[in-house]
Amino acid sequence: MSILNYNGGCVVAMKGKNCVAIACDLRFGVQSQTITTDFERVFELGPQLYIGLPGLATDTQTVYQRLQFRIKMYEMREGRRMKPQTLMAMAQNLLYERRFGPYFVEPVIAGLHPSTKEPYICALDLIGCPCEPADFVVSGTCSESLYGMCETTWREDMEPEDLFECISQSLVNAFDRDALSGWGAVVHIIEHDKVTTRYLKCRQD
Amino acid sequence: SACGVIMASAAVAGHSNMKSSHLASLTPQWMNSEVLTGTSIMAVEFDGGVVVGADSRTSMGTYVSNRVTDKLTRVTDRIYCCRSGSAADTQAIADIVSSHMEILEVKLGEPPLVQVAANTFKEICYNYRDMLMAGIIVAGWDKSKGGQVYTIPLGGMMVRQPIAIGGSGSTYVWGHIDAAYQPNMNQEETVDFVRKTLTLALTRDGSSGGVVRVAVITKDGVDRRVFLHNELPEFYQG
Repeated sequence: MSILNYNGGCVVAMKGKNCVAIACDLRFGVQSQTITTDFERVFELGPQLYIGLPGLATDTQTVYQRLQFRIKMYEMREGRRMKPQTLMAMAQNLLYERRFGPYFVEPVIAGLHPSTKEPYICALDLIGCPCEPADFVVSGTCSESLYGMCETTWREDMEPEDLFECISQSLVNAFDRDALSGWGAVVHIIEHDKVTTRYLKCRQD
Repeated sequence: SACGVIMASAAVAGHSNMKSSHLASLTPQWMNSEVLTGTSIMAVEFDGGVVVGADSRTSMGTYVSNRVTDKLTRVTDRIYCCRSGSAADTQAIADIVSSHMEILEVKLGEPPLVQVAANTFKEICYNYRDMLMAGIIVAGWDKSKGGQVYTIPLGGMMVRQPIAIGGSGSTYVWGHIDAAYQPNMNQEETVDFVRKTLTLALTRDGSSGGVVRVAVITKDGVDRRVFLHNELPEFYQG
Protein backbone atom coordinates (compact mmCIF):
# COMPACT_ATOMS: atom_id res chain seq x y z
CA MET A 1 0.00 0.00 0.00
CA SER A 2 1.35 3.42 -0.95
CA ILE A 3 2.27 5.81 1.86
CA LEU A 4 -0.27 8.34 0.65
CA ASN A 5 -2.98 5.68 1.19
CA TYR A 6 -1.87 4.69 4.69
CA ASN A 7 -4.27 6.88 6.67
CA GLY A 8 -6.89 7.64 4.00
CA GLY A 9 -8.85 10.83 3.54
CA CYS A 10 -9.89 13.29 0.86
CA VAL A 11 -10.42 16.99 0.22
CA VAL A 12 -12.28 18.90 -2.50
CA ALA A 13 -12.56 22.64 -3.19
CA MET A 14 -14.81 24.48 -5.65
CA LYS A 15 -15.22 28.01 -6.96
CA GLY A 16 -18.60 29.71 -6.94
CA LYS A 17 -19.97 33.20 -7.56
CA ASN A 18 -18.01 35.42 -5.15
CA CYS A 19 -17.49 32.44 -2.88
CA VAL A 20 -15.42 29.30 -2.55
CA ALA A 21 -16.11 26.03 -0.78
CA ILE A 22 -13.74 23.48 0.70
CA ALA A 23 -14.70 20.15 2.21
CA CYS A 24 -13.08 17.03 3.63
CA ASP A 25 -14.00 13.72 5.21
CA LEU A 26 -13.38 12.92 8.87
CA ARG A 27 -11.87 9.45 8.90
CA PHE A 28 -8.55 8.71 10.50
CA GLY A 29 -7.46 5.10 10.08
CA VAL A 30 -4.47 2.82 9.88
CA GLN A 31 -4.84 0.94 6.60
CA SER A 32 -8.22 -0.73 6.85
CA GLN A 33 -8.83 -0.08 10.56
CA THR A 34 -10.76 3.08 11.43
CA ILE A 35 -9.37 4.72 14.55
CA THR A 36 -11.40 7.91 14.92
CA THR A 37 -14.14 9.72 13.02
CA ASP A 38 -13.34 13.30 14.03
CA PHE A 39 -10.06 13.97 12.24
CA GLU A 40 -10.43 17.19 10.29
CA ARG A 41 -7.91 17.87 7.58
CA VAL A 42 -9.07 21.32 6.50
CA PHE A 43 -7.58 24.18 8.52
CA GLU A 44 -8.22 27.91 8.73
CA LEU A 45 -5.11 29.98 8.06
CA GLY A 46 -6.83 33.37 7.81
CA PRO A 47 -10.34 34.86 7.93
CA GLN A 48 -11.15 33.73 4.37
CA LEU A 49 -8.22 31.41 3.71
CA TYR A 50 -8.37 27.65 4.15
CA ILE A 51 -6.02 24.78 3.36
CA GLY A 52 -6.84 21.09 3.11
CA LEU A 53 -4.04 18.57 3.72
CA PRO A 54 -5.01 15.01 2.77
CA GLY A 55 -2.39 12.28 2.92
CA LEU A 56 -0.26 10.88 5.71
CA ALA A 57 -1.80 12.16 8.97
CA THR A 58 1.47 12.95 10.71
CA ASP A 59 2.47 15.15 7.76
CA THR A 60 -0.99 16.75 7.74
CA GLN A 61 -0.31 17.96 11.27
CA THR A 62 3.33 18.91 10.68
CA VAL A 63 2.80 20.80 7.43
CA TYR A 64 -0.11 22.69 8.99
CA GLN A 65 2.00 23.68 12.01
CA ARG A 66 5.03 24.73 9.92
CA LEU A 67 2.84 26.69 7.51
CA GLN A 68 1.07 28.42 10.38
CA PHE A 69 4.45 29.53 11.74
CA ARG A 70 5.55 30.95 8.39
CA ILE A 71 2.24 32.75 7.92
CA LYS A 72 2.42 34.38 11.35
CA MET A 73 5.98 35.56 10.67
CA TYR A 74 4.86 36.93 7.28
CA GLU A 75 1.90 38.78 8.79
CA MET A 76 4.08 40.18 11.54
CA ARG A 77 6.73 41.45 9.12
CA GLU A 78 4.37 42.64 6.36
CA GLY A 79 1.65 43.94 8.67
CA ARG A 80 -1.09 42.61 6.39
CA ARG A 81 -3.10 39.50 5.68
CA MET A 82 -1.71 37.01 3.19
CA LYS A 83 -3.43 36.57 -0.15
CA PRO A 84 -4.23 33.06 -1.35
CA GLN A 85 -1.77 33.16 -4.27
CA THR A 86 1.03 33.91 -1.81
CA LEU A 87 -0.01 31.00 0.38
CA MET A 88 0.28 28.78 -2.66
CA ALA A 89 3.83 30.04 -3.28
CA MET A 90 4.71 29.52 0.38
CA ALA A 91 3.32 25.98 0.40
CA GLN A 92 5.14 25.24 -2.85
CA ASN A 93 8.42 26.39 -1.31
CA LEU A 94 7.87 24.44 1.92
CA LEU A 95 7.17 21.25 0.00
CA TYR A 96 9.99 21.62 -2.53
CA GLU A 97 12.51 22.16 0.28
CA ARG A 98 11.89 18.47 0.96
CA ARG A 99 12.18 17.42 -2.68
CA PHE A 100 14.04 14.16 -2.01
CA GLY A 101 12.33 13.20 1.24
CA PRO A 102 8.91 14.77 0.82
CA TYR A 103 5.97 15.40 3.08
CA PHE A 104 3.27 12.94 2.04
CA VAL A 105 0.47 15.46 1.68
CA GLU A 106 -1.12 16.90 -1.47
CA PRO A 107 -2.53 20.25 -0.34
CA VAL A 108 -5.66 22.04 -1.55
CA ILE A 109 -6.03 25.79 -0.98
CA ALA A 110 -9.29 27.75 -1.10
CA GLY A 111 -9.79 31.38 -0.23
CA LEU A 112 -10.81 34.91 -1.13
CA HIS A 113 -8.36 37.74 -1.82
CA PRO A 114 -8.26 39.92 1.34
CA SER A 115 -9.20 43.15 -0.46
CA THR A 116 -10.72 42.30 -3.88
CA LYS A 117 -12.57 39.23 -2.51
CA GLU A 118 -11.74 37.40 -5.73
CA PRO A 119 -12.26 33.63 -5.26
CA TYR A 120 -9.17 31.41 -5.59
CA ILE A 121 -8.53 27.67 -5.48
CA CYS A 122 -5.46 25.59 -6.21
CA ALA A 123 -3.94 22.18 -5.56
CA LEU A 124 -0.34 21.10 -5.20
CA ASP A 125 1.32 17.73 -5.46
CA LEU A 126 3.52 16.39 -2.70
CA ILE A 127 6.64 18.14 -3.99
CA GLY A 128 4.97 21.45 -4.63
CA CYS A 129 3.81 21.57 -8.23
CA PRO A 130 0.78 23.89 -8.27
CA CYS A 131 -2.32 23.70 -10.41
CA GLU A 132 -4.75 26.64 -10.53
CA PRO A 133 -7.86 25.62 -12.45
CA ALA A 134 -10.98 27.74 -12.80
CA ASP A 135 -13.47 25.23 -11.48
CA PHE A 136 -12.56 22.71 -8.78
CA VAL A 137 -9.65 20.81 -7.27
CA VAL A 138 -9.58 17.37 -5.62
CA SER A 139 -7.07 15.39 -3.62
CA GLY A 140 -6.91 12.21 -1.56
CA THR A 141 -7.46 8.47 -1.78
CA CYS A 142 -10.67 8.76 -3.81
CA SER A 143 -9.46 11.53 -6.13
CA GLU A 144 -10.50 9.61 -9.25
CA SER A 145 -14.09 9.28 -8.02
CA LEU A 146 -14.02 12.94 -6.97
CA TYR A 147 -12.95 14.03 -10.46
CA GLY A 148 -15.88 12.16 -11.91
CA MET A 149 -18.40 13.58 -9.45
CA CYS A 150 -17.14 17.19 -9.69
CA GLU A 151 -16.92 17.15 -13.48
CA THR A 152 -20.56 16.11 -13.67
CA THR A 153 -22.04 18.40 -11.04
CA TRP A 154 -20.00 21.64 -11.19
CA ARG A 155 -21.43 24.66 -13.01
CA GLU A 156 -20.02 28.17 -13.27
CA ASP A 157 -21.19 30.98 -10.95
CA MET A 158 -23.09 28.96 -8.37
CA GLU A 159 -24.54 30.83 -5.41
CA PRO A 160 -23.38 29.72 -1.93
CA GLU A 161 -26.44 27.50 -1.28
CA ASP A 162 -26.06 25.71 -4.64
CA LEU A 163 -22.31 25.44 -4.15
CA PHE A 164 -22.88 23.78 -0.78
CA GLU A 165 -25.20 21.19 -2.33
CA CYS A 166 -22.81 20.58 -5.22
CA ILE A 167 -19.67 20.11 -3.15
CA SER A 168 -21.44 18.00 -0.51
CA GLN A 169 -22.95 15.60 -3.03
CA SER A 170 -19.67 15.33 -4.94
CA LEU A 171 -17.70 14.54 -1.80
CA VAL A 172 -20.14 12.11 -0.19
CA ASN A 173 -20.87 10.09 -3.32
CA ALA A 174 -17.17 9.89 -4.13
CA PHE A 175 -16.01 8.72 -0.72
CA ASP A 176 -18.86 6.21 -0.46
CA ARG A 177 -16.93 4.34 -3.15
CA ASP A 178 -13.66 4.45 -1.22
CA ALA A 179 -12.75 2.02 1.55
CA LEU A 180 -10.37 4.51 3.21
CA SER A 181 -12.40 7.73 3.24
CA GLY A 182 -15.70 8.79 4.70
CA TRP A 183 -17.17 8.29 8.13
CA GLY A 184 -18.48 11.87 8.19
CA ALA A 185 -17.68 15.12 6.39
CA VAL A 186 -17.27 18.84 7.07
CA VAL A 187 -17.96 21.59 4.51
CA HIS A 188 -16.84 25.23 4.74
CA ILE A 189 -18.53 27.83 2.51
CA ILE A 190 -16.36 30.96 2.37
CA GLU A 191 -18.07 34.23 1.44
CA HIS A 192 -16.78 37.79 1.64
CA ASP A 193 -18.36 38.47 5.03
CA LYS A 194 -18.72 35.04 6.66
CA VAL A 195 -17.70 31.42 6.66
CA THR A 196 -20.39 28.78 7.16
CA THR A 197 -19.22 25.44 8.48
CA ARG A 198 -21.56 22.44 8.30
CA TYR A 199 -20.98 18.87 9.44
CA LEU A 200 -22.63 16.24 7.25
CA LYS A 201 -24.26 13.13 8.68
CA CYS A 202 -23.07 10.24 6.51
CA ARG A 203 -23.09 6.48 6.48
CA GLN A 204 -20.51 5.16 8.94
CA ASP A 205 -18.95 2.39 6.91
CA SER B 1 -8.56 -14.14 14.16
CA ALA B 2 -5.53 -12.98 12.18
CA CYS B 3 -7.52 -13.57 8.98
CA GLY B 4 -7.58 -9.95 7.97
CA VAL B 5 -3.85 -9.42 8.38
CA ILE B 6 -2.88 -12.64 6.63
CA MET B 7 -5.25 -11.94 3.79
CA ALA B 8 -3.93 -8.42 3.31
CA SER B 9 -0.30 -9.52 3.05
CA ALA B 10 -1.15 -12.49 0.84
CA ALA B 11 -3.02 -10.23 -1.54
CA VAL B 12 0.04 -8.05 -1.97
CA ALA B 13 2.81 -10.67 -1.95
CA GLY B 14 1.45 -14.06 -2.96
CA HIS B 15 -0.55 -13.64 -6.11
CA SER B 16 1.34 -13.64 -9.34
CA ASN B 17 -1.67 -12.65 -11.42
CA MET B 18 -1.00 -8.96 -10.79
CA LYS B 19 0.80 -7.01 -13.48
CA SER B 20 4.48 -6.82 -12.62
CA SER B 21 5.70 -4.56 -15.42
CA HIS B 22 6.73 -0.99 -14.75
CA LEU B 23 3.59 0.13 -16.58
CA ALA B 24 1.58 -0.98 -13.54
CA SER B 25 2.51 2.30 -11.84
CA LEU B 26 0.90 4.33 -14.66
CA THR B 27 -2.50 2.77 -14.19
CA PRO B 28 -4.66 3.46 -11.14
CA GLN B 29 -4.08 1.15 -8.20
CA TRP B 30 -7.52 -0.47 -8.49
CA MET B 31 -6.72 -1.79 -11.96
CA ASN B 32 -3.81 -3.83 -10.62
CA SER B 33 -5.59 -5.29 -7.63
CA GLU B 34 -7.38 -8.57 -7.28
CA VAL B 35 -11.04 -8.33 -6.40
CA LEU B 36 -11.44 -9.14 -2.72
CA THR B 37 -14.33 -9.29 -0.36
CA GLY B 38 -12.67 -7.65 2.65
CA THR B 39 -15.71 -8.48 4.64
CA SER B 40 -17.44 -9.15 7.87
CA ILE B 41 -19.35 -12.44 7.95
CA MET B 42 -20.93 -14.47 10.70
CA ALA B 43 -23.28 -17.34 11.41
CA VAL B 44 -25.09 -18.30 14.61
CA GLU B 45 -27.00 -21.47 15.52
CA PHE B 46 -30.29 -21.24 17.36
CA ASP B 47 -32.89 -23.80 18.29
CA GLY B 48 -34.64 -24.51 15.00
CA GLY B 49 -32.06 -23.23 12.53
CA VAL B 50 -29.26 -20.80 11.84
CA VAL B 51 -28.89 -17.10 11.11
CA VAL B 52 -26.17 -16.07 8.64
CA GLY B 53 -25.13 -12.49 8.05
CA ALA B 54 -22.65 -10.48 5.97
CA ASP B 55 -21.81 -6.94 4.87
CA SER B 56 -22.01 -6.01 1.17
CA ARG B 57 -18.69 -4.44 0.17
CA THR B 58 -16.39 -5.76 -2.59
CA SER B 59 -13.17 -3.85 -3.10
CA MET B 60 -10.47 -3.67 -5.78
CA GLY B 61 -7.61 -2.22 -3.77
CA THR B 62 -9.27 0.70 -2.02
CA TYR B 63 -11.94 1.25 -4.68
CA VAL B 64 -15.33 -0.13 -3.72
CA SER B 65 -16.33 -1.97 -6.86
CA ASN B 66 -19.62 -3.33 -5.57
CA ARG B 67 -21.42 -1.80 -2.58
CA VAL B 68 -24.41 -4.14 -2.66
CA THR B 69 -22.66 -7.52 -2.95
CA ASP B 70 -24.47 -10.65 -1.85
CA LYS B 71 -21.95 -12.72 0.11
CA LEU B 72 -24.58 -15.16 1.37
CA THR B 73 -24.51 -17.77 -1.34
CA ARG B 74 -26.96 -20.62 -1.76
CA VAL B 75 -25.40 -24.08 -1.74
CA THR B 76 -28.67 -25.98 -1.40
CA ASP B 77 -32.15 -24.86 -0.39
CA ARG B 78 -31.29 -25.29 3.28
CA ILE B 79 -27.51 -24.70 3.23
CA TYR B 80 -25.87 -21.33 2.68
CA CYS B 81 -22.27 -20.22 2.82
CA CYS B 82 -20.71 -16.87 3.77
CA ARG B 83 -17.76 -15.95 1.55
CA SER B 84 -14.66 -13.94 2.45
CA GLY B 85 -11.31 -13.54 0.70
CA SER B 86 -10.90 -13.66 -3.05
CA ALA B 87 -14.25 -13.11 -4.78
CA ALA B 88 -13.25 -15.31 -7.73
CA ASP B 89 -11.99 -18.19 -5.58
CA THR B 90 -15.00 -18.29 -3.28
CA GLN B 91 -17.53 -18.03 -6.12
CA ALA B 92 -15.84 -20.88 -7.97
CA ILE B 93 -15.69 -23.12 -4.88
CA ALA B 94 -19.31 -22.44 -3.97
CA ASP B 95 -20.40 -23.31 -7.54
CA ILE B 96 -18.50 -26.60 -7.43
CA VAL B 97 -19.87 -27.62 -4.03
CA SER B 98 -23.39 -26.62 -5.05
CA SER B 99 -23.26 -28.86 -8.11
CA HIS B 100 -21.88 -31.77 -6.05
CA MET B 101 -24.76 -31.38 -3.59
CA GLU B 102 -27.31 -31.32 -6.41
CA ILE B 103 -26.01 -34.65 -7.71
CA LEU B 104 -25.88 -36.05 -4.18
CA GLU B 105 -29.51 -35.11 -3.58
CA VAL B 106 -30.54 -37.13 -6.61
CA LYS B 107 -28.46 -40.12 -5.47
CA LEU B 108 -29.66 -40.07 -1.87
CA GLY B 109 -33.25 -39.09 -2.54
CA GLU B 110 -33.16 -36.52 0.25
CA PRO B 111 -31.50 -33.13 0.92
CA PRO B 112 -27.79 -33.43 1.77
CA LEU B 113 -26.55 -32.89 5.31
CA VAL B 114 -24.87 -29.63 6.29
CA GLN B 115 -21.87 -31.61 7.51
CA VAL B 116 -21.46 -33.18 4.07
CA ALA B 117 -21.53 -29.80 2.33
CA ALA B 118 -19.06 -28.38 4.86
CA ASN B 119 -16.78 -31.36 4.35
CA THR B 120 -16.87 -30.89 0.58
CA PHE B 121 -15.86 -27.24 1.02
CA LYS B 122 -13.08 -28.36 3.32
CA GLU B 123 -11.72 -30.91 0.84
CA ILE B 124 -11.35 -28.22 -1.82
CA CYS B 125 -10.00 -25.54 0.52
CA TYR B 126 -7.44 -27.89 2.11
CA ASN B 127 -6.18 -29.70 -1.00
CA TYR B 128 -5.77 -26.47 -3.00
CA ARG B 129 -4.73 -24.36 -0.03
CA ASP B 130 -1.61 -22.91 -1.71
CA MET B 131 -3.60 -21.59 -4.64
CA LEU B 132 -6.70 -20.30 -2.92
CA MET B 133 -7.54 -17.43 -0.63
CA ALA B 134 -10.92 -18.37 0.79
CA GLY B 135 -12.40 -18.07 4.27
CA ILE B 136 -15.84 -19.67 4.26
CA ILE B 137 -18.54 -20.23 6.86
CA VAL B 138 -21.04 -22.97 5.98
CA ALA B 139 -24.37 -22.90 7.78
CA GLY B 140 -27.73 -24.55 7.33
CA TRP B 141 -30.44 -26.80 8.63
CA ASP B 142 -30.91 -30.54 8.17
CA LYS B 143 -33.17 -33.02 9.86
CA SER B 144 -30.42 -35.01 11.56
CA LYS B 145 -28.76 -32.29 13.69
CA GLY B 146 -30.93 -29.22 13.11
CA GLY B 147 -29.17 -25.88 12.72
CA GLN B 148 -25.38 -26.18 12.29
CA VAL B 149 -22.52 -23.78 11.63
CA TYR B 150 -19.13 -24.94 10.31
CA THR B 151 -16.21 -22.57 9.90
CA ILE B 152 -13.48 -23.17 7.29
CA PRO B 153 -10.75 -20.55 7.66
CA LEU B 154 -7.77 -19.95 5.36
CA GLY B 155 -5.71 -23.16 5.66
CA GLY B 156 -8.65 -25.51 5.13
CA MET B 157 -9.45 -26.76 8.62
CA MET B 158 -13.11 -27.32 9.45
CA VAL B 159 -14.77 -27.13 12.82
CA ARG B 160 -18.36 -26.86 14.01
CA GLN B 161 -19.09 -23.89 16.28
CA PRO B 162 -22.32 -22.50 17.76
CA ILE B 163 -21.22 -19.08 16.55
CA ALA B 164 -18.62 -18.31 13.88
CA ILE B 165 -17.28 -14.99 12.61
CA GLY B 166 -14.93 -14.37 9.72
CA GLY B 167 -13.40 -11.86 7.36
CA SER B 168 -11.21 -8.83 8.03
CA GLY B 169 -13.96 -7.11 10.04
CA SER B 170 -14.27 -10.02 12.44
CA THR B 171 -11.11 -8.97 14.26
CA TYR B 172 -13.00 -6.03 15.78
CA VAL B 173 -15.84 -8.08 17.26
CA TRP B 174 -14.23 -11.11 18.92
CA GLY B 175 -14.49 -9.34 22.27
CA HIS B 176 -18.06 -8.27 21.57
CA ILE B 177 -19.26 -11.81 20.85
CA ASP B 178 -17.44 -13.19 23.87
CA ALA B 179 -19.22 -10.64 26.04
CA ALA B 180 -22.64 -10.49 24.40
CA TYR B 181 -23.38 -13.97 23.03
CA GLN B 182 -25.79 -16.05 25.07
CA PRO B 183 -26.78 -19.60 24.15
CA ASN B 184 -30.46 -20.48 23.63
CA MET B 185 -31.55 -17.21 22.00
CA ASN B 186 -34.67 -17.34 19.91
CA GLN B 187 -34.81 -16.44 16.21
CA GLU B 188 -35.46 -12.69 16.56
CA GLU B 189 -32.87 -12.27 19.31
CA THR B 190 -30.32 -14.04 17.12
CA VAL B 191 -31.11 -11.81 14.12
CA ASP B 192 -30.72 -8.75 16.33
CA PHE B 193 -27.41 -10.05 17.69
CA VAL B 194 -26.07 -10.63 14.16
CA ARG B 195 -27.21 -7.18 13.03
CA LYS B 196 -25.54 -5.50 16.02
CA THR B 197 -22.28 -7.44 15.65
CA LEU B 198 -21.96 -6.76 11.93
CA THR B 199 -22.68 -3.06 12.47
CA LEU B 200 -19.81 -2.85 14.95
CA ALA B 201 -17.51 -4.64 12.52
CA LEU B 202 -18.36 -2.61 9.44
CA THR B 203 -18.08 0.69 11.29
CA ARG B 204 -14.46 -0.06 12.19
CA ASP B 205 -13.28 -2.02 9.16
CA GLY B 206 -12.49 -0.11 5.97
CA SER B 207 -12.96 -3.24 3.87
CA SER B 208 -16.50 -3.85 5.13
CA GLY B 209 -19.56 -1.71 4.53
CA GLY B 210 -22.75 -1.18 2.60
CA VAL B 211 -25.85 -2.97 3.81
CA VAL B 212 -26.18 -5.82 6.30
CA ARG B 213 -27.63 -8.91 4.63
CA VAL B 214 -29.14 -11.58 6.87
CA ALA B 215 -30.66 -14.97 6.04
CA VAL B 216 -32.59 -17.11 8.51
CA ILE B 217 -32.53 -20.83 7.60
CA THR B 218 -35.01 -23.17 9.23
CA LYS B 219 -36.83 -26.35 8.25
CA ASP B 220 -39.45 -24.16 6.56
CA GLY B 221 -37.00 -22.46 4.22
CA VAL B 222 -34.86 -19.36 3.94
CA ASP B 223 -35.98 -15.88 4.96
CA ARG B 224 -33.67 -13.18 3.49
CA ARG B 225 -33.50 -9.68 4.89
CA VAL B 226 -31.56 -6.51 4.17
CA PHE B 227 -30.80 -3.77 6.71
CA LEU B 228 -29.92 -0.41 5.14
CA HIS B 229 -27.58 1.99 6.89
CA ASN B 230 -30.39 3.92 8.55
CA GLU B 231 -31.77 0.69 10.02
CA LEU B 232 -28.54 -0.20 11.78
CA PRO B 233 -28.00 0.55 15.49
CA GLU B 234 -25.89 3.56 16.39
CA PHE B 235 -22.97 3.10 18.70
CA TYR B 236 -20.41 5.37 20.34
CA GLN B 237 -18.30 7.07 17.66
CA GLY B 238 -14.71 7.58 18.75
